[in-house]
Amino acid sequence: MSEAVLKLENLSKTYSLGKRNVQALSNLNLQVNKGEFAAIMGPSGSGKTTLLNVLGCLDKPTGGRVLLDDVDVTKLPEKELYKIRRGKIGFVFQTFNLLPYLNARENVELPMEGTKKTRSERRQRASELLGMVGLSGREEHRPQRLSAGEQQRVAIARALANDPAIILADEPTGNLDSKNKYEIVRLLANLNINQGTTIIMVTHDSHIAAQTERLLFLSDGKITKEKQGRHLAKKKLTCPYCGSKTQLGDKICPSCKKKL
Amino acid sequence: MAIMISIPAGITSNQASTETLTQNLSDTITQTEETINQTLTQIDCTLSSSFEGFGFAAPDTSSSGGSGFTPPDMGGSGFTPGQFGNATGVPGAFGGGAFSSGGTTAMNETLYNDINSTIDGVAAVVPSLQVSEGTEEEMEMMGRSFTTLSVDYVIEGIPLTSDTVDNYPILPTNITAGRNLQAGDSGVVLLSENNTAFFEAGVGDTIEILDETFEVIGVYGSSGVEDITTLYMDLSDAQSISNNTGYITSLTVFADNSDVVTDVATAISSLHAELTVTTGQQRLDQLEALKTTYETALESAEATVAQTQSVAFQEILVAVAATSLIVLFVMLYTVRERTKEIGTLKAIGFSNWTVMSQFMLEGVFLSLMAGAVGIAIASIAAPTLSGLLLPAVSQSTFGTRFTSANSGTTASITLTPELILIALGGAVLLGTLGSLYPAWRASRTRPAEAMRYE
Repeated sequence: MSEAVLKLENLSKTYSLGKRNVQALSNLNLQVNKGEFAAIMGPSGSGKTTLLNVLGCLDKPTGGRVLLDDVDVTKLPEKELYKIRRGKIGFVFQTFNLLPYLNARENVELPMEGTKKTRSERRQRASELLGMVGLSGREEHRPQRLSAGEQQRVAIARALANDPAIILADEPTGNLDSKNKYEIVRLLANLNINQGTTIIMVTHDSHIAAQTERLLFLSDGKITKEKQGRHLAKKKLTCPYCGSKTQLGDKICPSCKKKL
Repeated sequence: MAIMISIPAGITSNQASTETLTQNLSDTITQTEETINQTLTQIDCTLSSSFEGFGFAAPDTSSSGGSGFTPPDMGGSGFTPGQFGNATGVPGAFGGGAFSSGGTTAMNETLYNDINSTIDGVAAVVPSLQVSEGTEEEMEMMGRSFTTLSVDYVIEGIPLTSDTVDNYPILPTNITAGRNLQAGDSGVVLLSENNTAFFEAGVGDTIEILDETFEVIGVYGSSGVEDITTLYMDLSDAQSISNNTGYITSLTVFADNSDVVTDVATAISSLHAELTVTTGQQRLDQLEALKTTYETALESAEATVAQTQSVAFQEILVAVAATSLIVLFVMLYTVRERTKEIGTLKAIGFSNWTVMSQFMLEGVFLSLMAGAVGIAIASIAAPTLSGLLLPAVSQSTFGTRFTSANSGTTASITLTPELILIALGGAVLLGTLGSLYPAWRASRTRPAEAMRYE
């Protein structure tokens, strides 16, 4: 029996837009187990981002419970929530959201500020993480000197800084070209397989979603459909260059021979 | 910030110069009053001079007015500086060398021996010779050109006999170095402190006065509004070096007691109608008149200072308000600009407090920079700025009369360390105030909303 990292019980969220109330989430139930890589898909306005914000303790639901590592975060006051966000959750944004005046390493160190880690420990951890996302040697580069894909790698490294229970990625490939899209999704998949990182990813892109092991379809604030991902369950991914299937551990695409 | 620093600097300097003036004036008035009170038995006699055509002489001055230069703005006070101080040998009194002896007319010593012999109640008659030395300057006034004397020093010759020196207050009393003149002294001088600077000499040195060598025997303290430049020596020495043998410029008659002073004065006047006779009481009256003039001036100076302060207070208030508002708007703008960054920081686990303190720190840093720049500007431009922003006290109130006499204490603006510290403290305070609300707003931003903000 897998261990539940995240449990949503009758989750509701209503926005009031003037006189009109908009039901963004309605009685949503979901359980995400440790080590899962789930993709949430759905049309615009279906509540994907709202769901992710509520999961990430960035927004308060109007009803229901969010159990993160068996803690009901909806009951926590704001001054406790920042600790949850810092320690349990790693965020990856569509627009990367790196601080432009900090270099790659400093951006990764940022969530570790205020934790018990010493300066040198933070530094070392940041360098390790940047190595893990394939950015060794780029530690001192500012975001504007990095490509979009590299910036998103830095953001992923930043999300991993405090060893979170879950990574929440809000359209992480939305601002990337197709080559970088697959690189990022491979990176996430590798983290999921090799490190056992639990990942929930919101995406519009069915090809990207198909790389995951669990696809959730959201519509009108409810999960309307769920299916198994085709590739990741079989430890397979798509080559970013030719689109053919590759093994997770492949360094070179077997069909187009390009370096992955 | 520069304004906020310059104004207090200007006020401080204005206050300081006003205080100095006030202190000097009241010191001098008190001192002169004391001296006159001590010498109420003293009657000054000088020879009236009548130089036809010198219309600019002060209307109610009696002794000067001759070829000497009487400043027009002194005339109105009803006080002739030359009469005090030099003529009577009272140090620290008004007058000094600047306006004095040029107008006094030499009198033949022997002509006035009858004062002592024929008038009852006369205790002593002390003759003195006063000679001003300096450089002549041409000056234009009322369409005519005159030669005036820019006085370097004034020689005061006094008979140094045991009768005069020991019994009558004819020499300065506040000796600061060396010793006072004594009966029988010759070839020696008593300098004022200002003289020591001019001659570059001190006690024991020898100096040249009118081609004769004198030894400096002592120095007396000069105080008061005017710079005292009178040096004292034996009457015979003074007469011989100035080619005035047998001549004097004034007689100081001492009455037996203060009751007979008026009678003696009347008797002198009737015996020698050509003499201008001034009693201690008259000098006191003149002093009172002068005192009133000074007090009026002081009052208006104080009023100006008060007015300056209220203007300054308003200006500082405006500057403080403006600074706070600038910080507020800059920080609000910054917070708006960086809403997304704030959202990101909160999403990756920054507490409200951390976000708030970061923005507070930025605001304070901003103000500190402004403060530093302000101090830099103020240190260069403070005199100009405070001159522009504040009414000038020393010039408007005291006029040329006081500032010229008191040029050493005209407003010089200095930035004291205290003022700089206060300014920086103020900057931090304003920075904190101005960034409080923006920082609070930043920290309250809901991350979910902040993330949507582009």
